[in-house]
Amino acid sequence: MKMNKATIIVLAVVAVVVIWAIAGYNGLVKADEAVSTAWSNVENQYQRRADLIPNLVNTVKGYAAHEKETFDAVVAARTRATQITVDADNMTPEKLQEYQEAQGAVGAALSRLIAISEAYPDLKANQNFKELQAQLEGTENRISVERRNFNNAAKEYNTSIRTFPRNILAGVFGFEKRPYFEAKDGAENVPSVNF
Amino acid sequence: MKQKFFSLLCLLLSACAFFEANARIYKVDDVPMVHLQDRTRYVSNPDGILSSSSVAQMDSMLFALEEKTGIQTIVAVLSGIEGGDCFDFALRLGEKHGVGQKGRDNGLVILLSTEERCVQFITGYGLEETLPDAKCKRIQDKYMVQHFSRDDWDKGMVEGVRAVCGVLDGSMENIDEEDDTVAIIACCAVAVLCLVLVLAIIWHANRCPQCGKHSIQRTDSRIVERHSSFVVRETTYKCSKCGHTFTKRNNEGISGGSGTGGGVIIGGGFGRGGGGFSGGSFGGGSFGGGGAGSRF
Repeated sequence: MKMNKATIIVLAVVAVVVIWAIAGYNGLVKADEAVSTAWSNVENQYQRRADLIPNLVNTVKGYAAHEKETFDAVVAARTRATQITVDADNMTPEKLQEYQEAQGAVGAALSRLIAISEAYPDLKANQNFKELQAQLEGTENRISVERRNFNNAAKEYNTSIRTFPRNILAGVFGFEKRPYFEAKDGAENVPSVNF
Repeated sequence: MKQKFFSLLCLLLSACAFFEANARIYKVDDVPMVHLQDRTRYVSNPDGILSSSSVAQMDSMLFALEEKTGIQTIVAVLSGIEGGDCFDFALRLGEKHGVGQKGRDNGLVILLSTEERCVQFITGYGLEETLPDAKCKRIQDKYMVQHFSRDDWDKGMVEGVRAVCGVLDGSMENIDEEDDTVAIIACCAVAVLCLVLVLAIIWHANRCPQCGKHSIQRTDSRIVERHSSFVVRETTYKCSKCGHTFTKRNNEGISGGSGTGGGVIIGGGFGRGGGGFSGGSFGGGSFGGGGAGSRF
């Protein structure tokens, strides 16, 4: 009978541990999933900016045809950036940095494009251009919001896999640290769009 | 000489006071939310930059808009903002108060800062389709900037808000999802609770008082007393497990039906909002950075 009591205690402890592990594991999966969702939102907004580029370039071309170098730079940066994709589940700091640099180059090229438009009053007065500019600005804003959301999600996830006792679970089930955006000088200059 | 100095000092002080009163730099937390005190008001105008009639005009438009579509708005007209970035300030203002219904994310922030000379719209996720950035920009260009550049804040704001309401009016229904779900859940919970209670009473009543088993059967039932308005019925039960026999007496109304326990009517609705001057609330909508801004 005594043996029986000990067994019951052991079983109860095991049950508690299993329940804790399940809850903890599910929590980690949820946090991991949140990071992936946040990442896809970031990518969507960068894609949205990429989709704006052809229209924007064509509009500027109509008024400033000889600024060929600037157009080419924008298109080249866009092409390069769309080739770099980051798999949300397989993200490495190097890959993320590469992505960030490519997108930063697009941003820089776009800000030069907007800057040359200053020299063309007809272009600046064009309603279509104004709205494209507003859309570009809105997209840059969305990018920064989604990047911030992604960083928050990644930080929360990283904290949860590193704090005791969840770090044991994270080690057992192979949850790894996620990289996040770091503000860099120059590379990620959001073009300042002034009206 | 002394007098001159004194008057100069006075001038300086009053200039300081004037400057202080006219260019207060607001933090996001400092912006008063009039809607929270009075649910019919939306326009925060702490420096009196707008006339009260303009404010009232906009409030009534925005109240009608919320009643019709559920779209919630914050309008803030400030003399200066901390950080000087209109987009950032307006976004933080919207996020802090969670303007817009949760899930539908139909909040809208309209910020005018006279010091920065900027106007900014921030649209919640749910408004990005009906009020895309380009449309925000067009409204600012067409109705607001021209007046703002002449420091005609009243006209620019009223016309801009009217144009925004024109676009948003009829774009969605005010379904007030949150309240409905809460009400339905509460009703279900109450119903389940009642059911459980009734079942528990029946379960308990059907126990044999001797052995406690749920195995009693009715064997006899007869009326033992007659009164003018009710009769007393004696029912005999027998437990099939232990053979214990017992009787229960119940009062019964003459018109039929048993006298034990009447029906319980669970009433009460889930009203929303009170009178015209009760405080409003924001639903907790979220923002993705949509909207547009203009400088003038």
